[in-house]
Amino acid sequence: MTLVEFPAIAKAAIACWGAGSLLQIPARKSKPASLVSWLLMIGGTSLLVWFLVAYWITLERPPLRTLGETRLWYATLIPVVGFLVEYRWKIGWLKYYCMGLAAFFLGINIASPDVFQKALMPALQSPWFIPHVVVYLVAYVLLAASSVAGWHNVWLKFRDKSSAVSESMSHYLALLGFVLLTFGLVFGALWAKEAWGHYWTWDPKETWAFISWLAYLGYLHLVARKTKGTVLQWYLGLAFLVLLVCWFGVNYLPSAQNSVHTYSGAS
Amino acid sequence: MQSSKQTQKVDSASEGFREAALFTITAIIAGFAVEWLTAGSGITIPRWPVNFLFLAVLAVSVAIVGLTLRKHPLVAWLGGIPVGLSLIVGLALLSFIGGVLPQDPAHPGTLVATLRLNGMFSSWPFAFVTLLFLFNLGLSFLWKVVPFRVANLQFMLFHGGFWIALSCGLLGSSDLQRLIIPLNEGQESSIAYEMPSERPIQLPYSIYLKDFQIDEYVPQFALYDPATDQVLEEKSKMVPEVRKGARAVWPGVATATVLEFMPDALPDKDGNPVPSKAHKGVPFARVRAEADGQPPVERWISGGGPEIKPQFLPVGSYFIVIAPGAPKAFRSHVMISGTDSERRVAVLEVNKPVDFRGWKLYQMGYDEKAGRWSTMSLVEAVNDPWLPAVYLGFFMIMAGNLLYFWKGVKKMEAA
Ligand code: HEM
Repeated sequence: MTLVEFPAIAKAAIACWGAGSLLQIPARKSKPASLVSWLLMIGGTSLLVWFLVAYWITLERPPLRTLGETRLWYATLIPVVGFLVEYRWKIGWLKYYCMGLAAFFLGINIASPDVFQKALMPALQSPWFIPHVVVYLVAYVLLAASSVAGWHNVWLKFRDKSSAVSESMSHYLALLGFVLLTFGLVFGALWAKEAWGHYWTWDPKETWAFISWLAYLGYLHLVARKTKGTVLQWYLGLAFLVLLVCWFGVNYLPSAQNSVHTYSGAS
Repeated sequence: MQSSKQTQKVDSASEGFREAALFTITAIIAGFAVEWLTAGSGITIPRWPVNFLFLAVLAVSVAIVGLTLRKHPLVAWLGGIPVGLSLIVGLALLSFIGGVLPQDPAHPGTLVATLRLNGMFSSWPFAFVTLLFLFNLGLSFLWKVVPFRVANLQFMLFHGGFWIALSCGLLGSSDLQRLIIPLNEGQESSIAYEMPSERPIQLPYSIYLKDFQIDEYVPQFALYDPATDQVLEEKSKMVPEVRKGARAVWPGVATATVLEFMPDALPDKDGNPVPSKAHKGVPFARVRAEADGQPPVERWISGGGPEIKPQFLPVGSYFIVIAPGAPKAFRSHVMISGTDSERRVAVLEVNKPVDFRGWKLYQMGYDEKAGRWSTMSLVEAVNDPWLPAVYLGFFMIMAGNLLYFWKGVKKMEAA
């Protein structure tokens, strides 16, 4: 499986999500419609899982090297968070945002395809590569979901319809995201020691990872101070912007010229 | 009812925050003032044992202040969340400057250099905020340790671990030595260079380089357009690998098939490839190519090396060329000898450093102009006596994190 097949599969996944979402309307009254709707939505995600596995096999390395490849993982995993939240808390709206975000990421990948590259530079060939990136990825997925939930809660508040369950959901997503963010940061430091000789060099990517970590650390301390719910929802909504800079904005900053982490070829 | 509850919440949350913010801003301004007065010279962390003494004094003063003046409102405030939060924001803002502006030498006299915005992480504002941060974090840690309660274990591990990692990482940075050792095949060296000063340093051991090797990924072939100086995209969007039987299609332009492939060969007198022994050859491939509407052509092509010209296959107005594979791994086979008679044979490879008497030796680079034929290897030697303390902090953070995760998940199940 290569990037040649990618646009067709991505479009099929988006179509499945879209059809499944539309079928949610009759699903309220009809069991079979609900079943078909869920089969379609999960089917869309399964298509992407299948593509990821096949692409991994073709590449002979984990597809985690370029930004395009990581976007593929986000597109696959973010809707899963939406589905799990519905399963766990019976909150249905999150999944639409999640599928929308995933469709947006797939759209970026269709519009600006990666170059198909098998080579993995020696510094990335490490047992730390997969745990470090996967932990970060899942952290970003959870924090993206918590940000979406935060915005939704702000909107609910605006219409005087705040929901305590929905606010505690955005909180737990952020909490789990923070735990994984911390692991990602420490794993990154341990790996850097093995690969580059020192665990922390204030490289722009590291600095931004630290700033993002501080942003969520600030959130947890606001929570510990029993800050008002609305403030926290705004905070979660906005904190994700910092993560976005860390994730792909760093490459465009003046400081990034000498970064060892802006892997050449990543676009 | 609803609204009175809310105002109460707002009050408890904003209590002490204004003072805390002012406190942090003052620390930052004071730091920038010092930079301005010293023309941006920054802070030089003292080396062992002064840095250790400083750390000890800091820890003891946190302990004394925390234990004796715990009830004092000022001290309670100093170890409380509002101050902690303001300092977190302060640290994030300073890191933001350091994460946006290049941290490289700047022209002296410019605002950036005078305020040391180009060396944020060794600047006085950063040092002040971090110091206050350690004080705040230390107090909050202490108050969870005394009196001791198992329920606070997660807090202790996380906050204590962060305290140790941050303090030892920053204060120990002056004792960190990162030296570069250039090695040549068949020679021994005990001289390392400090960067960027290039000051030579005598090592307490020497390294003999037996052999330096590079593995490359499979070479690739491409259709090159001299008119635009670009490579045409193949049908699969892949740069095709040179393998026996590999076939590439450039729609509407040409097709090519690899008939034979020798990864490592040298040309004989007639230009025909002969497999090379000592890993010194270049990749050769016999390729048949067809430009649209023309009879097929067939010949040997090769990548170039120091003594070998590359060979191409012209197809219409294009050329089929071989591009060498990217480096996959490089390693140095070395023998390390201590000042006594201890000797060790080792292989240095990227991501696989070797420990020798407190030093970690890293495969760092090679002569990139010579590429695969390099007989020179750059090794980095790192000595970081504070590493065990920093790692202790890291592992405490991770242990606290696991507990946090566990508690978080349990609470969620209860929700
Ligand atoms: C990194 C620097 C940190 C600083 C300066 C800091 C500072 C503080 C301070 C001063 C308190 C108040 C203590 C109290 O009132 O009892 C506190 C509470 C707290 N901190 Fe931190 N903290 C830091 C890191 C963290 C981290 C990494 C976590 C992650 C889990 C964390 C989680 C908490 C929690 C949950 C509380 C509330 C504890 C309670 O009220 O029982 N802190 N922190």
